[in-house]
Amino acid sequence: MSAGDRDARPAGGGDEADRRLSALTIFTEPAGYLKGLVVPLGAALVTGGLDPWILILSAVLVAGMLLAGLLTYRSVRYRVGEAHFELRKGIVRKQRRTIPLERIRGVDVSATPLHRLFGLAVVKIEAAAGGRAPEEGKLDAVRLGEAERLQRELLRRRPASEEGADSADTEDELLFAMPRRWYLFGALRPRYLVALLAALAAAGGAALELLTDLGVDIGQVVARHRDWASGGALGWAALAAAALALAPVFAIGAYAIAQWGFSLRRRGGCLVTERGLLTRRQVSLEHARIRGYELADDPLGRLGRAVRLTAIATGIRGGGSRAALLPTGSRRRVHAILAEVLTPFAGGLRAHPPAARRRRLGRAVAPVAGAAVVAALAGHGWVAAALAVAVLPAAALGLDRYRSLGHGFDGQQLSLRSGSLSRGQVVVQKQAIIGWRWTQTLLQRRAGLATLEVAVGAGRGGYAAIDIGLADSVALAHEVTPAMLAPFAVGDQSASNDRSASPEA
Amino acid sequence: MSPRAVRMWTVSAILDGLVTAAILCLVAWLADRGQWSWVPEAVLERVWWGPIGYGVFAAVSAIVSPRWRYRVSRWEVAGDVLYTRTGRLRVRWQLVPVSRIQTVDRTQGALERAFGLASVRVQTASHLGSTSVRGLDADTAEELTGQLAARAGALRDDAT
Repeated sequence: MSAGDRDARPAGGGDEADRRLSALTIFTEPAGYLKGLVVPLGAALVTGGLDPWILILSAVLVAGMLLAGLLTYRSVRYRVGEAHFELRKGIVRKQRRTIPLERIRGVDVSATPLHRLFGLAVVKIEAAAGGRAPEEGKLDAVRLGEAERLQRELLRRRPASEEGADSADTEDELLFAMPRRWYLFGALRPRYLVALLAALAAAGGAALELLTDLGVDIGQVVARHRDWASGGALGWAALAAAALALAPVFAIGAYAIAQWGFSLRRRGGCLVTERGLLTRRQVSLEHARIRGYELADDPLGRLGRAVRLTAIATGIRGGGSRAALLPTGSRRRVHAILAEVLTPFAGGLRAHPPAARRRRLGRAVAPVAGAAVVAALAGHGWVAAALAVAVLPAAALGLDRYRSLGHGFDGQQLSLRSGSLSRGQVVVQKQAIIGWRWTQTLLQRRAGLATLEVAVGAGRGGYAAIDIGLADSVALAHEVTPAMLAPFAVGDQSASNDRSASPEA
Repeated sequence: MSPRAVRMWTVSAILDGLVTAAILCLVAWLADRGQWSWVPEAVLERVWWGPIGYGVFAAVSAIVSPRWRYRVSRWEVAGDVLYTRTGRLRVRWQLVPVSRIQTVDRTQGALERAFGLASVRVQTASHLGSTSVRGLDADTAEELTGQLAARAGALRDDAT
């Protein structure tokens, strides 16, 4: 390609000139700091009245932050080069970071309400730095249009996606847009259900603190209204009922704020998710980074036949919300989209041996039953009775934990499932498995069980098959990675003996 | 493992035990002298049982534990897979394919140096897939480190 060609390309096509953050950063950066200082500063101003010292201090603080914003704006430069992304910053200690374009694994764009007010966005560039901890470049903040341009530019220009670069890469393919009904699933997420209670508790605590600060004697107030309180037991009950009834509403509200307008797109070699009402976040996951997926649900979600899909991808530790591919949604639809973007697990799950049921049951019931016995011995009859009744749900929980245990291999992918209150089925590609670890406690040894963990260089780093039969576990590992097990397990039958007999080194 | 590891683990267990016992004795002595009011009378009367009990336990475990640990610890490299086995009550076997190894570190603490021993730590892209072999003869550790690093470099499989 001649030099003339390069000049003819649109801006950013070749080596481009140094670019700066948006000038508005001078204001948004201090505003970001101020968010954390508003309460203490406000409190100082209120309690200190118009003390000149506090006023001066605040002014100095604000001026200092503005200066810091100005310095950030002045010092940060970036550039998308032929083969590298270059980021320079620092005034006293200059820092220059060069990220090869082919190492860039993802470009995330997020915007807090403050940024959106100014039409800005934060760009986070993630790169694999030679297999070690991922390296990052963060641009806080650039204009929204520039953020989108950067994302496209950086992801498109990776040589890895060169085949079909012109056709597919420029077009977005919308795979999923949040249907209205799906916001209702928020009512099934325990995390959001407790949001109201947490908010009430926080508000109550703050109000209490404020009243005490204002010199109101809480004890006296309570004493004065004792009559009302005791007479109004019905009123309290009504209040509690109202709170319970309102909890799902608030849950849906909180959930909608977080998941608003969730969309999943295919853009070049990436899957791009976008969501959020106040803070809008766009995460791009390179397809080549995805090592598997996880389907998670909880008892409430199972009642509503709902499940959520998360990717297991390298460079995203813990697989938290960044790796979310779909919000909680109806199982059928989630599976349909899963089949479209990833390879679904094609095999069935095998149950774990009956000894595992005994162990799950024992572990769920034993603490409750033990506490009941202790309470009974200590003479707290009522507590003991309550705990004895609680044994039943504990047993149900234990049984359900056993029911969800399972493992399977379909020739390409390994799948493990466990958990009850928070159940997860992980599916991991065969090639992504980078090791095995067996753990066997004294009790597990007597029951012929073990916990097999599979090491994966992505997501949470490893996934466990709890209380799998020892022989089964060796057979499974042997089936999935024959080369890894071959030197140690000669035959599947003799394998378990081999292992417990600890072969000589 | 090197048989010398037993001696090192014994010395290290004795040192650990002495430090913990000293702290326990100090607490007991303070409680005895101060007659802390919030501590129940029955406990104060038997305040020295704690340190004595711990001392007996530490002494027994300093003798038994290192030998036991030596007997159950295994490592082996076969067919480009590193195999380790550790743990007394809770046994743990681990398989790490050499091709997935990212770094191999050979470390030697002060005690290890005194006994001519070393540890080899192997890291992969997953914390769960990382392991270490402790109590190796220093020369063996050197050899193992070199062997693993060379093989890992040759087999380098970039997938994580």
